[in-house]
Amino acid sequence: MSGWSRSRTSDGSDRDDGQAQRGDGGRTVRQRHVFGTVFTLEAVIAGGVFLVVLAVLAWSLLRRHARTTERSERPRVEAFYVGALAAFAVFLVTWTAWQNHEEHPAAPREPLRVDVTGFQWCWDFRYPRSADHRRVTGTCKGKDMPTLVVPTGRTVQLRLTSRDVIHSLWVPGLRYKMDAFPDHVNTFTLTLDRAGRWRGRCAEFCGQRHWTMDFWIKAVSPREYDRWAHGGTAAA
Amino acid sequence: MTLAPDTDAQRGDAGRPVTPGSWLGWVSTTDHKRIGLLTIGTSLVLLLVDGVFALLMRAQLAQPEETFLAAHLYNQLFTMHGSGMIYTVMTPFAIGLGVYLVPLQIGAPGIALPRLTLLGYWLYVLGALTMLAGFATPTGAHADGWFSYPPMADSVHSPGTGPDLWIVGVSLAVTGSILMGWAVLWTVLRRRTRGMTMLRLPVFCWSMIATCLMVIGSFPALLAAMVLLGVGRADPDVFASNVWNIGYQHIFWFYGHPVVYVMFFPYLAAVAEVLAVFSGRRFFGYRGTALSLLVFAALSMSVWGHHMFATGQAANDYYSLTSIALLVPAGVEYFGMLGTILGGRLRLRVPMLFALAFVPQFLIGGLTGIMVGTPVIDYHVTDSYFVVAHLHYVLFAGSAFGLFAAVHYWFPKVTGTLLDERMGRLHFWLLVVGTNLTFLPMFALGYLGMPRRVVTYATFDGFGLLNLLASIGAAFLAAGMTVFVVNVLWTLRRRHLGRAEPAGDDPWEGHTLEWATTSPPPRLNFPADRPLPPVTSFAPLLDRRTGGGTA
Repeated sequence: MSGWSRSRTSDGSDRDDGQAQRGDGGRTVRQRHVFGTVFTLEAVIAGGVFLVVLAVLAWSLLRRHARTTERSERPRVEAFYVGALAAFAVFLVTWTAWQNHEEHPAAPREPLRVDVTGFQWCWDFRYPRSADHRRVTGTCKGKDMPTLVVPTGRTVQLRLTSRDVIHSLWVPGLRYKMDAFPDHVNTFTLTLDRAGRWRGRCAEFCGQRHWTMDFWIKAVSPREYDRWAHGGTAAA
Repeated sequence: MTLAPDTDAQRGDAGRPVTPGSWLGWVSTTDHKRIGLLTIGTSLVLLLVDGVFALLMRAQLAQPEETFLAAHLYNQLFTMHGSGMIYTVMTPFAIGLGVYLVPLQIGAPGIALPRLTLLGYWLYVLGALTMLAGFATPTGAHADGWFSYPPMADSVHSPGTGPDLWIVGVSLAVTGSILMGWAVLWTVLRRRTRGMTMLRLPVFCWSMIATCLMVIGSFPALLAAMVLLGVGRADPDVFASNVWNIGYQHIFWFYGHPVVYVMFFPYLAAVAEVLAVFSGRRFFGYRGTALSLLVFAALSMSVWGHHMFATGQAANDYYSLTSIALLVPAGVEYFGMLGTILGGRLRLRVPMLFALAFVPQFLIGGLTGIMVGTPVIDYHVTDSYFVVAHLHYVLFAGSAFGLFAAVHYWFPKVTGTLLDERMGRLHFWLLVVGTNLTFLPMFALGYLGMPRRVVTYATFDGFGLLNLLASIGAAFLAAGMTVFVVNVLWTLRRRHLGRAEPAGDDPWEGHTLEWATTSPPPRLNFPADRPLPPVTSFAPLLDRRTGGGTA
């Protein structure tokens, strides 16, 4: 599951029918790496704060019979404390935003475009630039789950929309999700550096069979991908 | 509606055509204490009803691929649990507590706008019943979750009367909350007794000011969202356009985040009062806390987009900035609470136990709130059980513990009788175990990939053990709540039979003016033959006890 990253997307997500609906095409997350760093840091800080508060509570409880002070205000301590909190908040926001926006070196080749459409209750993956317009879909019933096949090492641009209600494409193993809206295209890219298979699912409640809306995302070597794109079935 | 609250409240019940004690007397009362009690009582009953919905859900989720509940019924249950708890339990209880306590704490004989307040209560009850009435329709109650995004919630994808009833019910209930919020705010601003300056208001009253400002500022947005949803159900073409789909989310969350603090401040402030009283000292950092509540309320109106990071249609950096900035006022409030108990002489009675547990438990909700307010993390955990865990740590491990602290603390004032201490302790410990056993595993479930609002999950996913733990925790919660209900009913029964020991006017050595009157307080709040103590600070009774005000 390691060794994948997301790169900067090409901007824009104009709809083919001319109704310009611009998605946030500028997501520039090196996702898994960034997620790991930010999550770990915030979890460690949160754990530290929690322990400090627990320690204060424990101290108060242990010394609960001994009144030590009558003071009901310490304005200078509090002012210092507020300053520290504010500085910390500024650090946290700028640092995480910077991590969020950190740019990946521009992709050397044209990204592979995949049009993803969510519907009640499954997914439809189309490869408009592949030789014979490959398309993968299914019913998401039982074993009939579609597999999104992508080559390793190449930037893949996903253009995400929906045919009916709002869905959300979530690949927990890749630590990322993006909503699929009807009448709107959200664009993001990902680059998987290593072959592997991850489970994807719908994260936005979308009715009766919301819970079955699973799919696979599978990264294969470029050669194997080419074979598959030309009609082979080896990869899927 | 005439605006003559002063004369009305001072007249009391004289000349009313109905007996005050009859049911008609109750539902037509202009006594803020009765309206407050009706609101609190109604929301406690609904707490149990919506809690049963949650227990059914936990039974269904205890093991993978269970078939105890059909998907459509499960979807109704999570919708009515979530929307019921938010619109008709935690919000009305918080405001109802203000309706009961604020006039007492500021030394007023009544609430401003008592009839408006009563109308607010009626609308709230009608709204709650209308929402639940969906269960009696052939297609069942509403089933699209408490935020009910279109187009899922339009009449094409969610046909039936249940959703329509839900929209009407939510609109009624929220209108009721707005009316009551106005009355409470107006009371604090206009009905304070002599000497009660703004900086001598109890912390609870400050929390109600901030709360009511948010109610007035943000709740109308929910009405707008409901109108939009109603229009879209009449004409589903509305939601063929992305503008109205994403627009609904913006309007909804403009309400949807401030309401979180509406469901938090009054409970936080109840905890603050309890911590101060049971530490035997003045609340620490009073001015900082009052100011932080106002800053918090103001910021709360600018953070809504953090619920929409994954939509690809919100300015994520901006909303991340405003959301994370909230840690400053939140930190100030913790400074006050911890400063109060540090160096205090603590008495560990039941209200204090709940208040002490609130501090670390709410903190878990707050700290994970910073995480979900960070876009990079939110892309993974939003709409997952991580968020479910986070919001339940805020609303249950936090606010509900504040709620129970408040009930145990003010029960003797309201009824003249203390709740049973032993049952209270049992209730407390069952709730502590149950809360953490239920909601801690959910953080892991969300992290591992369990989406929220799923009726079941595949064995393949490997979520079985953590879900089983959560369901066992829910059983502890059910046991704890049963003890609470027995405690309240048993105590009220003993009181009715005259067997309960009177609690006295001030059983806890309280700090604020409500403890200077009788328990329960008379119709006009303060007996004519007993002058109010001079208001020398925000803790006038503590001043009287220790001889002199310092703040």
